[in-house]
Amino acid sequence: MADRMVFEDRKQFLEALRRLVREGLPGERIRVITPFGVPEAEEILSRGRSNVRFFALVGAVSGTATGFAFTILTSLSWPLIVGGKPIVSIPPFIIIAFALTILFGALSTFAGFLLLSRLPSLRGIRSGEEHGNAFVILIEDGERR
Amino acid sequence: MENAEKYAKVDRDILAAMEKPGRFYLAGLAVTATLTVIGGILWAYQIRNGLGVAGYTHPVNWAIYITNFVFWVGIAHSGTLISAVLFLFRARYRTSFNRAAEAMTVFALMVAGLYPLIHLGRSWVFYYLIPYPTQRQLWVNFRSPLIWDVFAVGTYFTVSVVFFYVGMLPDFAIARRCKEGIRKKIYTVLSLGWKGTDREWRHYGMLYLFLAAFATPLVASVHSVVSWDFAMSIVPGWHTTLFAPYFVAGAIFSGTAMVITLVIPLRKAMHLHEYITDDHFESIAKILLFTSLIVSYAYIVEFGLASYGENIFEMEAFRYRALGEFRYLTWAMIFCNSLVPLTLFAKRLRRNTAYLLVVSLLVNVGMWLERFVIIVTSLAHDFDPYVWGTYRPTYVEVGISLGSFGLFFMLYLLFVKNLPVLSITEIKEHL
Repeated sequence: MADRMVFEDRKQFLEALRRLVREGLPGERIRVITPFGVPEAEEILSRGRSNVRFFALVGAVSGTATGFAFTILTSLSWPLIVGGKPIVSIPPFIIIAFALTILFGALSTFAGFLLLSRLPSLRGIRSGEEHGNAFVILIEDGERR
Repeated sequence: MENAEKYAKVDRDILAAMEKPGRFYLAGLAVTATLTVIGGILWAYQIRNGLGVAGYTHPVNWAIYITNFVFWVGIAHSGTLISAVLFLFRARYRTSFNRAAEAMTVFALMVAGLYPLIHLGRSWVFYYLIPYPTQRQLWVNFRSPLIWDVFAVGTYFTVSVVFFYVGMLPDFAIARRCKEGIRKKIYTVLSLGWKGTDREWRHYGMLYLFLAAFATPLVASVHSVVSWDFAMSIVPGWHTTLFAPYFVAGAIFSGTAMVITLVIPLRKAMHLHEYITDDHFESIAKILLFTSLIVSYAYIVEFGLASYGENIFEMEAFRYRALGEFRYLTWAMIFCNSLVPLTLFAKRLRRNTAYLLVVSLLVNVGMWLERFVIIVTSLAHDFDPYVWGTYRPTYVEVGISLGSFGLFFMLYLLFVKNLPVLSITEIKEHL
């Protein structure tokens, strides 16, 4: 079971968190629950930057690639000249590739967020556990994470 | 006040907007729902009888429906500007407007998306626009601006919905805690089991930053693509490289006006004066003034290009716009978009919400007229005097247009009572 410390004040919460880390408690065993994002807590726990950014990169790059591949290959599969433009007309295809870059990038970032934050969480939906506006520090056993 | 108490007060104040509706609210809902139904019936009538019931005649085959499409897509833009661009610039006053503006973006795009379908002679084959594999192996023409539109607006809508939803995720968790009954269940599911752990917040911060970064170029790209629906043709009055920046500035201008139109009554009705202050309105009025100046500059450049371009068709198009049959609309447009906003140079007027509301309504009218004037006058008076014509809208077109306003405001009223109108977590963060 986890030990639990509850604070109403953000400053006191951060002080307690700092103290715990200074006392040598490994950051992996500490979990915090806050009513809004507290960047200082992340710093104290030295969590590092979120890997959601890699999902953004992969999504965006695959969007660009899909945009160009889709437009070029479908145009080549039925090579019909329209309006005197070349079969592979790169400038208009850039517009499609641009739109798909953003679409795939945004959707993949969102998917990455859900995956990494383990949402939707059925346990969270069912449990009905609420912490209100409190800042909570949970210290877990060495065994479990 | 203790911190905990302050936070609880923010929860209470903002969720109070979601309490049982009053008489005025229900009356507004009834009016907007009626307009929506009338619009729907008229559309059904048009589908049954064909586009002949609209006022389309040769040569004016694009008119009010396309005007409305451009108008609503334009309205959407400032929602993204406020939620994404101002987020990246860390503008504090954004918190007062972002939720309302994001909702506006989503609803405006829903309405805008209907217009290409309404404008189609055979609405039921709209899916021809979407590239899908068929046994004929025939694909869409990716060189056509109309297909760019499908991609640009489709992407814009999807990203806006994701952005809107993600912004509300932690607020759903608060609504889940504070509400009872069936609403509690709905918010619980919508919150996806959000608890507010450090892991959730860390990934959430990165997600929000990236969504803002992805949405920011859309502010410039979507309305540029819409402008190319016109500029890629050779119709005098449309065929100009000025169109993309001109339309983007106009879109932000009209959208900002719509945000002001929506948020001033919202603040009054929901007693949110503490969270949406006069300082915030002053800041957004400055955006309105600034974009008005860009739009006015574009008007001047447009006439300049025609006057010095040595192209008689272009010159005639602009002579007709300013002095022809639709001159009153053109001058009304210049009055609303270029002259009235100049008064916002006065600080006292920028801080006067009643005045600001009037200005924003006039700007909305002016921007609708701008699209109408660009579309109709250019088509009515193109190259060959033998085929010049004119255009008068029919009751079907007017009714469907009013129906779309009804639909937009109805969706907005439903939003106000069912979702948190301000970003609760962000307000707490800045306390």
